This record gives sequence, structure tokens and C-alpha cells, in this order.
Amino acid sequence: MIEAWELRKEYGGFVAVEGSSFSVDRGEVFGIIGPNGAGKTTTLKMLAGLLEPTAGEAEVAGYDVSETEMRHQLGFLPEESPLYEEMTPKTYLDFFADLYDVDSAVARERREETLDDLDLEHRNRQLGDMSKGMKRKVAIARSLINDPEVLIYDEPASGLDPLTTNYIIEFTERLAEEGKTIIFSAHNLFHVESICDRVAIMNEGEIVARGDLDRLQDEYGETTYHVYTTVEIPESVRENGRYRTVVESMEAVDERREQAQAAGGEVVDIRTEQSSLEEVFLNVAQSGRPGQ
Amino acid sequence: MNPRKLLRIARWEVTKNAGGLDRRTIAVVVVAVAGLALVAPVVGVGGVGVDDGIYRVAVDDDSQYDDVVANDSTFTVREASSRDALERGTVDLWIGERGVEPADSRKGAAAYEELRESASTYNNQQLAKEGNQTAAFPVSVTVQFREQASLNTSLGAGSGNSDGDDSPATDPDDDSPSTGGDDSETDQSGTEDDATGSVGDDDSTADGNTGGAPPGGVTGPLSEDELSGSPADINPPFPFQSLVLAFIFVIPLNFLIQAYGSTMLSERLKRRGELLLVSPVTRLDIIGGKTLPYFAGAMVTEGAIAVGLVYVARGELGGLISMLAIMPLVLLFLGATFLGSMFARSFKELTFVTVTITVVLTSYAFVPAIFTDIDSLALISPLTLVVRDLQGEAIGFQGFIFSTLPPLLSALVFFGLGSGLYREEDMFDQRSISGKVLDALAGPISRPYHVGVMTMILIPFVFVIQLLAIALLFATGDLSVPLILVVVAVVEEIAKSLHIYASYDHNRFDATARVAIVLGIASGVGFFLGEKIALLAQLVGLQNLAVAEAGLSGGVADVSGPVVILFLLAPLVLHIVTAAISALGARKNRRAYLLALAVAIAVHFVYNFTVVRSFV
Repeated sequence: MIEAWELRKEYGGFVAVEGSSFSVDRGEVFGIIGPNGAGKTTTLKMLAGLLEPTAGEAEVAGYDVSETEMRHQLGFLPEESPLYEEMTPKTYLDFFADLYDVDSAVARERREETLDDLDLEHRNRQLGDMSKGMKRKVAIARSLINDPEVLIYDEPASGLDPLTTNYIIEFTERLAEEGKTIIFSAHNLFHVESICDRVAIMNEGEIVARGDLDRLQDEYGETTYHVYTTVEIPESVRENGRYRTVVESMEAVDERREQAQAAGGEVVDIRTEQSSLEEVFLNVAQSGRPGQ
Repeated sequence: MNPRKLLRIARWEVTKNAGGLDRRTIAVVVVAVAGLALVAPVVGVGGVGVDDGIYRVAVDDDSQYDDVVANDSTFTVREASSRDALERGTVDLWIGERGVEPADSRKGAAAYEELRESASTYNNQQLAKEGNQTAAFPVSVTVQFREQASLNTSLGAGSGNSDGDDSPATDPDDDSPSTGGDDSETDQSGTEDDATGSVGDDDSTADGNTGGAPPGGVTGPLSEDELSGSPADINPPFPFQSLVLAFIFVIPLNFLIQAYGSTMLSERLKRRGELLLVSPVTRLDIIGGKTLPYFAGAMVTEGAIAVGLVYVARGELGGLISMLAIMPLVLLFLGATFLGSMFARSFKELTFVTVTITVVLTSYAFVPAIFTDIDSLALISPLTLVVRDLQGEAIGFQGFIFSTLPPLLSALVFFGLGSGLYREEDMFDQRSISGKVLDALAGPISRPYHVGVMTMILIPFVFVIQLLAIALLFATGDLSVPLILVVVAVVEEIAKSLHIYASYDHNRFDATARVAIVLGIASGVGFFLGEKIALLAQLVGLQNLAVAEAGLSGGVADVSGPVVILFLLAPLVLHIVTAAISALGARKNRRAYLLALAVAIAVHFVYNFTVVRSFV
């Protein structure tokens, strides 16, 4: 549904994105994460047709991103919610529905349905008088007014309170369940981890790691084993009447088992813990660029 | 471009603020506009009327001056039983059996003078109603203005007019139309005498005709003791009514661009325009849609003013020519504001931009209109067409094109450059205004021939600036030609090289000397080809003015053969050489560019000065 080949964007002498290639399948939720200035937003804007790539190509829903027709298949949500504050949610959504050639009756029905789903009241209030969370909901409703196949959401929950953030993340999950293809960037890795099927990690304009979460954790994360024994062994700490030792391999687990048996005790529990996406991201970021 | 979407955006532009205006504000705006619409035609045609009723006159009902007084709003009739009213100061003029007697005061003298002029006007109006116009006006005179320089030459060749006594009127070799003009004045005065008796007893014009009457004297307002005067004495020195008319047309545009600039800039602040850019519309749909309401509003306003003025002035429906003439000016205001709003980063900067636009374009519209008696200068401004249309004068096609094409093309250039910036990369960028100018110029350039095309695109802009400079510098006397040559050199060299510098600033080309020379050749050739637009000036006779000849065409008067070929090729060589000089500097850095540009300007000035001194 989304294909990007060697995307490159250069501003003057500054390279914002370099050699970015990936694909997103229909119905998949694809996350892009990375530190500030990594090139996430630039990549998303190239996919949305807002920025012309300096080099490389991209297709969305079978259309080249430079084609106007592609935009009918796309719902784009920028990081900020740049609304026309003198308009009301109704007039705002109707205006964009018209630009997307949505039949007025269909647009009206879709508008009400989406605003109901988003639990947005005060639909005749001017946007300038609304809270940031309400504005974000209107912006999300606008991205859906043309019932697009592909959604590009740039930091959809950025700067919102935890309650609204949770609501928007859950709403996005529902959209994914409905079959929308979503490409999604976020600083909050918990959000990405909770709804994304696959992830690309960007740093300094390049994709430095990609894949599903298991693969990333295998490749860039760490698996630790928490070995609980009945007797004290080297490097163990007492915890709830037992002794806990943390090791990083099964060989080390076997060693701890032998040590416990030698001390007259035994292993009573072994728990496995994997790195979170945040830890994976930190590992990737700290390891530098690919190949280094 | 999709017309449906363009119109949808236009409708949105009009309605989106509807909820932001309360009824009281709307009512105030409606009353203000209605007031302007009512007052403007009256003021425009009749003047501001500050002198209405200032002279008090005692006149018998059966006096021949009764209708004259009633016809002039500066008079107010007072009942008076005897001429003692003059002594008591209750009237300024007493018109009785002994004729017209003014009060012994400066106001009385002024009232007398006013009555004399009013009688003349009244008589002419009566004569104009005569069925036999040949009998009413037995002598028909065509007045043509001649340059002082050429007039002096002919005088010198004729009778050696050193003391002013031998006016062109007495020179048998001089067929200057001024002679006829004076004759005409004699007839008019004579007629006036017949009709107004003692008031028309003014010999000055008639005397002046046989003595040292000024050339081209139409109204003859010189004082009775004077036999000659400066050109400013000959005609009303300030075309007040024309300027009032121009003012009425330009003022709404100045308000309009404030609103237009704001809406364009607001798309850029807080990235509001981003969602329109990502929707399935083109940037031309967006720009066209957002501009259309302002353009339509301006045309409706200007049209209403034009129709109202025509109706008040001529008692008929009209104003189409005025609307067609004003349209390029409306587009020029909007185009410049659009580009300015693409440059500005804040409303503070936008204010600076719109004030600059207001001053420059209002000057462009106003200043040429001052020279109402010099066709080619006055026609620089489209408002001159409007004024002439309102006055019922014929407007030639060439004059119309000369007047409207430069601003129209300039407006298109402004819109074109601004459209180039209407994209994600540039709209929300916080570069300085100068940086944005370079962005706009460098945007369309990626190959050397693009440099030449861009130079040609900038020609109308150059032409408009030069026309404005001519109008502004025309009155500076001997300095006018050198000054205009400086302006020409500066404007043309900047137009040929700034986009080259912008291209290097944006790393479009290799910074080698060879490439720089190629770019210079492209720009020089482009300018040479585009410069032929100056032929428009020749179509309407602007080349008859030395200052215009110097500024626009370089002049090849009275030369032939190889010299003509030389003069055809020399400008091409000049433009290539100077553009290459600037390009060689531009490839390095800003400082080197400015230095090279100064050299190019100097070379250009020396060339033009030499040509003008030698051949114009």
C-alpha cells in the first residue's frame, strides 16, 4: 500500500533524509520512531506529497505521491493541528469534504459518525474556542472525512493530556482494526509498541533499523533471565525470602543452578525479560549509524 | 486547475470569517461603504466644494448676470436695496445698472475675478448649445505641445528670439500650434466680451496674442501686466480633479490589500495552509480561490465608482473602459501584495510590505496623472485612461495597451514568483525577506537557459519601474536625463543578475568562470529580446520625450546604414558583457556580486550616456 525507494531530501546543503526505503502492507500499522531531527516528519511529508523528494520515489495506494489522485486515498494528520479557528467543526469538515469530492449527504453522515466516535461535542463552537484535545479530534476527523485507505499520522497524540492521548491511541487502534493502512510517528514509544505491527528507527536522516518488534528485540534488544534460588549464591540479592540473580544467557542460568545445588539449595523460578522498544531504540541510537 | 474547487475555495474565503463579525460591525462597514459610494461620485466630479457660497452677490433678477451667478456655486445671492451694501460689507459684489462693482477689499477683487471666469464658462456653455457650431466657434484650434529644446532650436533658426518680444506667434517660419491657440483665445475673449459687457473687458489675452503671448496658452490666466511666463502659468498647474478621481479609485485598493495580505499570510502562520496543500487541489486552485473574492470585490467597487462617476458626469450609463483600464492596476496591487505576503514572516513585516506597496504603486498611479497635458507621460498610469473615460475623451487602442500591458504583465510576474513560493518548503520557512526573494528567483531555475527566460519574465517589472522613474524624474530639469540613465542602469543590471546570484546561492550551477559567462550570455540575450517590449513606448510616442528616449530606447535618431546595425547589435553586446560581469561576481559570494554589479552598472551608464549625448 505504501512503497518508498531510496527517498532523499536535501535542504540547501543539509540532508534531512537519506536513502529511506520501506514498504507498508495493506492494513498494517507501521511506526517510525527516532529522536528529534531524525527525519521522521520529512519522510512522512514526502509520502503525503507535501515535500518533493530530492531523489527517490514513493507510491501510496498505487499512485505516485506527486499525483493529485493519490491525495483522495490519503488522510494526513500533521504534528500540529493547524485549523482555521474562525470556523466551526461542521463548516470546517464540510469544506474539506467538498475539496475531496465527497458527496454532501455522505459527508454529513460521515462527519457526524466520526465526531460521535471521537466523542466531540460543541460542534457549532468556533475552533478557536476549543481545547487542544478537541482541536486534535477535529483534525483527526478531517483526516477521515474522505474515508481514505491510507492514514499518515505524525505524532497524533503530541502535547495532549494522558486521557486524550489514550483516547486517540485507542481510536487509532480501532482504525487499524477496520483495515486502514497507517503509518505513524511518535516520540512516545509505548504508543508505537502498543499499536504498531512493524517499526522503523530513524537517526540522522537514515533508517537504522526496521522490522517487527520481536525481530528488533532479538537484533537490538537484550533478553535477561531472573534466576530465583533458595540459597544465597554469588551476585544474588535477597528478595521476598528468596535470592534473585540476573544473567544474560542460558549458559549463565545453568551455572547459577549448579551453584545453588552446590550450596544445598535449588532454583525455584526463572523469569525472562525482554528489552522494551525504548531500550531497543536507545541501543540503536547509541550504537550509531548502521554498520558502525 | 480545477474551476469547481477554485470557486469552492473562493466561497470558503468569503464565508469563513462570517461568524467572526458581529452584526454591529457589519452594519458599520455597510454604512461606511454606502457613504463612500454616495460621496465619491459627487466629490470626484464636482470637487470638494469647499468654496461653495463664499462670495455674496447682490444682483437684479433681470440682470444678464443673474443666470451666471446662479450657475456658480461659489456665489450666494443676497438681497440688497442699494449699493451701500458694498460699503457696509454685507455683499462682495454689487451688480446693478452701472455694471459690476466689487467691494473695496481683496475678497471683493477675488469675487470679481470669479465672476469674470464664471461668465466666460457660462458663455461657452451657451455657445456649445448652439445648433450651428461653426457659427458659435468659427475658429477651430488644435493645441500641440512642443519640447522647449526643439522650440528654441526653431526660434534660433528663425528670428533669434532673445528678448521674448518675438514670440512664436509672430515668427512667420514657425508653424507652432501655439499661434493658433492664441488666436483661439482672442476669439473666445471676444465672444466673452459681447456677452458679458464690462466683466469681459479683459484685453490681456488679446494683447498677449499680438505681443508676447505664451505658447500654448489655452486659458490665458497670466496677469494683465505680464507678457510672458513660465509653462506652469499657462495651464492650471495642478490637475486637481484628475487627482481626486485617481484618489477615489486607488484608496479602496489600499484597504483591500490589507485584508488580502492578511489572509495570505495567515495561511503561512501556524502552518494553517498545510492541510490545503495536502488536499486534492493544486496550488493554483488555492491561490486563485483565495484571490478571486478580493479581485471581484475590487472590480465591483471600482466598477460602481466608475459607473457612478460616469452617470454623475455625463448623465449616462458607462464606465466599461474605466473598468478595463483599472483591472491591471487591481491585479498589480493584488500581485505585489501576494508576493509580499509570501516574503513576510509576521504581520509586522507584512505591514512594512503593504505600506511599501501602497506608496510605490500609488505613486505609479498618481504621478503620471499629473502630466495630463503630456499624453505619453500621463498614459504611463492606467488611471489616466479612467480619468479620460470619465471626461468622455476618446482613448486609442495603442494608448490603452501602452497603459495597461506593463502593469498587467508585472502583476503576472508577481503572481508567478509568489506561486513558486506557495509550497511546503517555502511557505513555512522562516528565512528573511531577502532570502525569500532569492528563493523566489532561484526556484524555477535549474538550467542555464532558464536564466535567460527569467530575465525576460522580469522585463515588464523593469519597464514599470523605468516608467515610474521617468514620471518622477521628468520634472528635475537638466538633471532628468542623467538621473534616468542611472536608474536605468541600476534597474536593468539588477534584473539581469539578481536571479543569477540567487541560483548560485541555491547551488544550482558550478561556480566556474565558464559557467558564469554562459549564464551572463543567457541573461544578456534574454534581456535584449525582452527589451523589445520598449517598442510599446514608441507606439504611443513616448520616444518624443528626451528623457524617455534616453531611458527606454537608447536612441538611434537620424542615423543610418552601418551605424544602425551597430546600434542594433551594441545593446546586445552591452547586455551580455554587463550580465557576464555580474555573473562572475555572483559565483563567489554576495560581496563579490555587489562589487561586480557596481562595475556592470558603471559600464552600462557610460554606454547609455555616450549614446544619448551622441545621438539623442
